[in-house]
Formats: sequence, C-alpha cells, structure tokens
Amino acid sequence: MIAVLALVAGVVAGVLLEPTVPVALQPYLPIAVVAALDAVFGGIRAKLDGVFDDKQFVISFVFNVLVAAFIVYLGDQLGVGGQLSTGVVVVLGVRIFGNVAAIRRHLFRA
Amino acid sequence: MTGPAPGSRFAPDFLLDLFANPLDPGYADAAAHRAEHGPPAGWRRRGALLLRVVALVATGFLLAVAYRHAIAGEPERSGAHAGLVEEVRSAQARADDLQRRSDDLRRQVTRLQETALGGATQQLRAIREQEAATGLVAVTGNGVVVRLADAPTPIDPTTGKPTGADVSRVLDVDLQSTVNGLWSSGAEAIAVNGQRLTSTSTIRTAGNAILVDFRPVTSPYDVAAIGPADIEERFERSAAAAGMRGLASQYGLGFSARRQADLTLPAAGTDAAPRYAHPVASTPGATPSESPR
Repeated sequence: MIAVLALVAGVVAGVLLEPTVPVALQPYLPIAVVAALDAVFGGIRAKLDGVFDDKQFVISFVFNVLVAAFIVYLGDQLGVGGQLSTGVVVVLGVRIFGNVAAIRRHLFRA
Repeated sequence: MTGPAPGSRFAPDFLLDLFANPLDPGYADAAAHRAEHGPPAGWRRRGALLLRVVALVATGFLLAVAYRHAIAGEPERSGAHAGLVEEVRSAQARADDLQRRSDDLRRQVTRLQETALGGATQQLRAIREQEAATGLVAVTGNGVVVRLADAPTPIDPTTGKPTGADVSRVLDVDLQSTVNGLWSSGAEAIAVNGQRLTSTSTIRTAGNAILVDFRPVTSPYDVAAIGPADIEERFERSAAAAGMRGLASQYGLGFSARRQADLTLPAAGTDAAPRYAHPVASTPGATPSESPR
C-alpha cells in the first residue's frame, strides 16, 4: 500500500514540478525508465514470492538505472549507442516479461 | 532450474537461464539470510522502508518526467513543420491576392484603351494581337498538349516499397527543347503547367525543382501550346520530339503529345514590358576601367 502511494507521489511530483531534463541526460531517460521498471517488477514479484527485501530492492533499482545509463554512455562513446541501447532494452524487456509472467501466475494462478 | 555445472562459471544455457529465471538471485539470498539470522532490528527495518519509499518516489518521478519529455518533444517537431506550412499558405494567399489585383488592373487598362481609341477598331485589334503574342492576356484556341514525366520510382520487388534509388528525371533542357520545338512548330502561345511563357521566360533547374519564371513546376509537366491545325504533326516531326522519344525509350521518361481543342492559356505572371539598356552617365574625373593587358 505504502509502495503504491510512494509511486503515485513520485508521479504527482514529476507532473507538478515540471522539471526540465538537462540535454546531456536526455539520451539516458528512456533507458533509465526501462531499468527502473525492471527493478519495480522484480520487487513486485519478490513480494508475491514472499522474499521481498528492501535493501535488495533499493540496490537493484539504483544499480539498474546506473548500469543501463553507463552502457548507453559507453555505446555513445564507441559510436554504437543505438545498438547498445537496443541490447539493454531487449535484456531488460525480457526480464520484465519474465517477472510479469511470474506475477501473473501468482495473481491468476494461470 | 539447474544451477551452474560444477567447474564452470556460467550455466551452459546462460541465455535460457536469463529468459526463464529473471528474478535477481539477491532476493533469495536475502530471504535465506533472514531465515538464518531472524528479522533485522527495528531501526534498520524503518531505514530500509524509508529507502524503499524513496526509490519508489524516484521511479514515479522518472516515469512522469520521461512521459512529459516524450510529450513535449512531439509538438516541437511538428510545430516547426506546421509553422513552415502556415508561412507557405500565407505567401500563396498573398500571391493570389496580387494576381487578382493584377487581373483587375489589366481589365481596367483594356477598358481605358477601348474608350481612348473610341471607334478605331483597327488599332484595337492590333493591340489585342500584340497582347496575345506577348502573353499579357489569356488566350484560347486549339492546339497540342505535350506531357513530359519523370521515370516512375523503381519499386523494391521484395518489400513493395519505393527504393531510394535515383529516378531518371526530366531536366530543364528537356523542357527547353520541347518548348523550342513547339515554337518552331508554329505555336503562338505556350504554357508549362499553367505557367504562360513570354519572350523573356526562363526555364531552369534550381536544386531538384525546375523553375519556370522562378516558379517551381513539378512532374508531370504539361506543355500546352496553341497553334495552327497541324501543330501536332509538325511537332512530332521536329528534332525536339525525336530527342525526347529517344530519352523516353532509354531512361523511361514519360513523353506523349496529344491534340486538344479549346485550350485556355492564362496570362503570364511576369511583366513582359521591354527593358532598355541605358548608358551610365559619365562622371567627371572618372576614368574608364582599363582592361588587363
């Protein structure tokens, strides 16, 4: 419950504060979103599995976002930013799909 | 799920493992640790909860910011396009207004000529003939329409979409030779895509477009000419038509000429008034520039 409230509070803050993203950070925004979603779905699955752990969740969130952004940065420096971004999105997408499938099994027993 | 085989650092089906078991093993480790040592102390629990809330707030914030960013990027892109379209529209409207005004003034001139010349119908007819020849007024009559067109865009056989390959285009010289062929076939008035030609008209290329009197015309180009009854046969026999037929068979350009009755060619948009060269008034003390020896 508190988690949902926190998420909603974050969305409301983002809408109300209307922050401008620095140009240098703009390429990393989509990747950071996907990485954060991966951490969130991983956390939800862990909760349903009964093994949720705050420390694990926070660390996975921070590192997912940072590593994904770093990979994109590295790709940009090497001139293969687009391809590496695609790779990151594919891997994280697969993880999200797997986690969502597990959540679905928990919720619907199917 | 089978763990890594003994002696190897990765499971042999690393990718399969990634697909099938996406949960961070850290959660399981943490759960095992908890089972072994019992739940953490109160202050650590509260601190961890706080961190969790902060991370989730950050996630929501990130989502909202990314969404806003994606939404904000869109109108900027289409906005520039819409602005240009708006500019073109208003310029066209202005040009249409000026054209209407020009037509009005032209009619006034005609009326004034008639009143000024009174019953001198001979002179009036001479003036009308001159006006028709110089492109000052719209003319109607029978003639021929020659159509030139760029070669069709090559279609990729696998995707069915146009390939990016360059197509053979009608060049300004093709249009020029066609127009000259029509003049030599006895044409009295010619218009390219509704753009009347005068004795001072230009047909030339700028970038990818062909400009007729500085106005762009695009493929297919319809060159309409009013002339004698046999203008079509005469044009077909001309060197210009032969050259265009050669280009058409060689490069796939479209080329056809057909007779058409009751063609109406508009008045020329440009001022066909003759311009005279004047000697530069000589200024005292100025020496004529010397040609380099």
